[in-house]
Amino acid sequence: MLILQLLLNGLQTGMLYALTAAGFSLIFGMTRIFHAAHGATFVIAAYAYWHITSLAGLPWWVAALGATMAAVIFGAGLYLTVYRRIQRSEASFFTVFIAAFGAVVVVQNVISMIYGRGFVSSSTPLSRAKELIPGLYVAPLIWVSVAVAAVFFGAMALLLKRTRLGVAMRALADNPELVRVYGLDPGRISLMVFVIGSILVVPAAIIQVIATGANPAVGHHIVMISLAASIVGGIGSLSGAAIAGILIGVAETLALLVVGSQWTEAVSFLILFVFIIVRPAGIFGRAHAH
Amino acid sequence: MTDVAQVVGNGGLTPEVRREAGEVLLEVRNLNKSFGGLAAIQDVSLDLRAGVVTTLVGPNGAGKTTLFNLITGHLKPDNGSVSWRGHDIIGEKPWQIARRGICRTFQDLRLFEHMTVEDNVLTVMEQSFWPVQPGGFAKARARRARVHEILEETHLSDKARIRAIDLSYAERKFLSLARIMATDGVIWLLDEPASGLDPRSFELFVRLLRQNVARGITVCIIEHNLDVVISLSDRVAFLDRGQLLAEDDPETILKDPHLAAIYFGERA
Amino acid sequence: MTSYLLNILVFVCINGILAVTLNFILGYAGIFSLAHAAFFGIGAYVAANVGLHVGPSILLAMPAAMIVCALLSVLLALPALRVRGEYFVAASLGLQIIAVSVFAEWHSVTGGLGGLVGIPVPEIFGFRIAGAGPMAVLSLAMLALISGFLAVLTRSSFGRNLMAIRDSESASLAFGKRIAATKVLSVAISAGLAAIAGVLYAFYVRFVNTESFMLDTSILLMAMVIIGGTGSLWGPILGATLITLLPPVLSYVPYLPPQQVGSIQQIIYGMAMILLMVFQPSGLVALFKRKEKSQ
Repeated sequence: MLILQLLLNGLQTGMLYALTAAGFSLIFGMTRIFHAAHGATFVIAAYAYWHITSLAGLPWWVAALGATMAAVIFGAGLYLTVYRRIQRSEASFFTVFIAAFGAVVVVQNVISMIYGRGFVSSSTPLSRAKELIPGLYVAPLIWVSVAVAAVFFGAMALLLKRTRLGVAMRALADNPELVRVYGLDPGRISLMVFVIGSILVVPAAIIQVIATGANPAVGHHIVMISLAASIVGGIGSLSGAAIAGILIGVAETLALLVVGSQWTEAVSFLILFVFIIVRPAGIFGRAHAH
Repeated sequence: MTDVAQVVGNGGLTPEVRREAGEVLLEVRNLNKSFGGLAAIQDVSLDLRAGVVTTLVGPNGAGKTTLFNLITGHLKPDNGSVSWRGHDIIGEKPWQIARRGICRTFQDLRLFEHMTVEDNVLTVMEQSFWPVQPGGFAKARARRARVHEILEETHLSDKARIRAIDLSYAERKFLSLARIMATDGVIWLLDEPASGLDPRSFELFVRLLRQNVARGITVCIIEHNLDVVISLSDRVAFLDRGQLLAEDDPETILKDPHLAAIYFGERA
Repeated sequence: MTSYLLNILVFVCINGILAVTLNFILGYAGIFSLAHAAFFGIGAYVAANVGLHVGPSILLAMPAAMIVCALLSVLLALPALRVRGEYFVAASLGLQIIAVSVFAEWHSVTGGLGGLVGIPVPEIFGFRIAGAGPMAVLSLAMLALISGFLAVLTRSSFGRNLMAIRDSESASLAFGKRIAATKVLSVAISAGLAAIAGVLYAFYVRFVNTESFMLDTSILLMAMVIIGGTGSLWGPILGATLITLLPPVLSYVPYLPPQQVGSIQQIIYGMAMILLMVFQPSGLVALFKRKEKSQ
């Protein structure tokens, strides 16, 4: 019974990870930018949502909209003001990474200066667990998370396969120069990639605020999991990142059966390690001929 | 139909006496490599004999650089064999193959951009990954002396302390040659070493190549420039779309109208 | 006042050693490691255990810490370095996380979350190194020694090997260089020397716990190297000095609410990292130097 309980909880965490990992993988796979500040987008979205519902008392859908706007402004803004400028002068992977890390540090501290370092959460009827069968406590939030994640992933799949923008984004991943040849602007497409990647973060952030609560340091954790999931799933594969996110979420929670809660983070990275060593291409990744 | 030799003449560079072929150093047999559905190399067999200069010619995309990559271990073939003095070297790592004496240059040079000209050449001679090279100070001094020698020969002495990234195009080509001169390579695989050089630099370059060939280095060059082909080569191998169409002495290859047609793009 | 300044000097030197050793793999080998704080911690814990269970001799603690760190780093680098640079970042991140978990859980060796207290005053040949003054002298000496050693190393064939690999791995392979072996050795040297910073820290503060060795510290060290400037010896020292001086300097600025000082510091160097990467990726030290001809 405990296993089932943990499985379900892990599924919810996994959905959250899947969404953020997919956003990160999308951005990295298509623009080759290591968007270490993805976690900062998450924190901003989470606090925006919380502020609008709990502090301003407005309905949840207003808060969701507000969180989306905040996330997009931050993600796209970072791309325009920082990443793009760096790419123009020196396209070094590490330069971008450091700048992104700087952004995370700034965001984390600005938020803790405004809201304090503690957890903030927003409780709704969704998060109240009901005893489904003796010993098994399930909150409706779990089903909602799965549904929301499914909707977003479905939308992403449609976007990538059926729309012109989606095709352009996939072309960008394979060959940025070719995109230019066809008269498209890689900069504009990259911007859209950042916008969409940032939108993907919002449902995950909202779930986090409702389920466990958010604090300024949660951004770090999210980036690390997103990175791990992207690698395990295979760079460039969104479905891989999503599946890996679920895998890591479930594994992390199931690990509670064996080890204490301080080790769960380490478990995620153990999985990452194994994959890096045994199958660096990840689950669905394209193996690169070096 | 074009007669290549007629079109090009020999540019005033007289062909060397064709060397006597020595032992077979590198034996390529039935090599195959595909990328996805594209057959980059199809059933290619080739012998590189000691002291012989072979030029690989063929249109762009024929697979010449891929062949080099397969020989040097940067790529793994789907099947076939590559033997070095009788030893099968397929599956060996590039650094192992390099240490056997099979050295190469790259079409895009791949110089050590942020290092000085001196250091580019010196580091090639420093094989051990430990902080101290075997042989102590005496060997170290000998290496530095050799670096100066090589820089003299390649006309790069006054650029010794300049970083590779700051050199002119011609100087970069010469540095690429200088690097391979610093190896104790028995076979040199040169990928378009002289492409894009102005006439004067080109002459110097070919002269330098000749000097090294005269020292006994076995060379296989990928070249488009027919002056090099005519004046330097003992053998020419013609590649097209991954297949070795012909391997013969230069005159025969250049007089073949069918090959000329392929080379100049007038396919039947 | 003097002992206050000497105290700062000790930390500047400790951070300097960490920055210089991190720069060795980052700037010269192109290896991006987020696990440097973990090796700092391992060195500190080894020194603490030597101090508590064997004796206060620093001359015993240092080699012990160096060997443990070097060996562990080899074990970890061997598998991780076989993959591309971007994956190594993730692997080193994983290492750092796992290390902190180990620090927090392995009570018998690390004292768990509470840490180890009561580390004795260090001695060299019976001479006690008590207080900020003597420790400052020792730290400065170690910083000078380590910097000097690394300076010699980078100008040697090993340095050239590293830079060749950093500039073109495929060309390095084509010229017979053993990339994995070279990188593993450079990581071992970097970790082994970083351990010395851990030893100094453990014997100076005389109390170690996980707080000082977490991901935040790794990022801080990265910031020191980047802000000061990679690829030169003075860059990381400059970066370490600036960042170590930031908290005490801020404490003199009026009107700053004390509980926010920590956040303000972080915001300052976060912004510094962003601005530098956009406008001056070679770091601050490049502002002081004329165009370099070679490294």
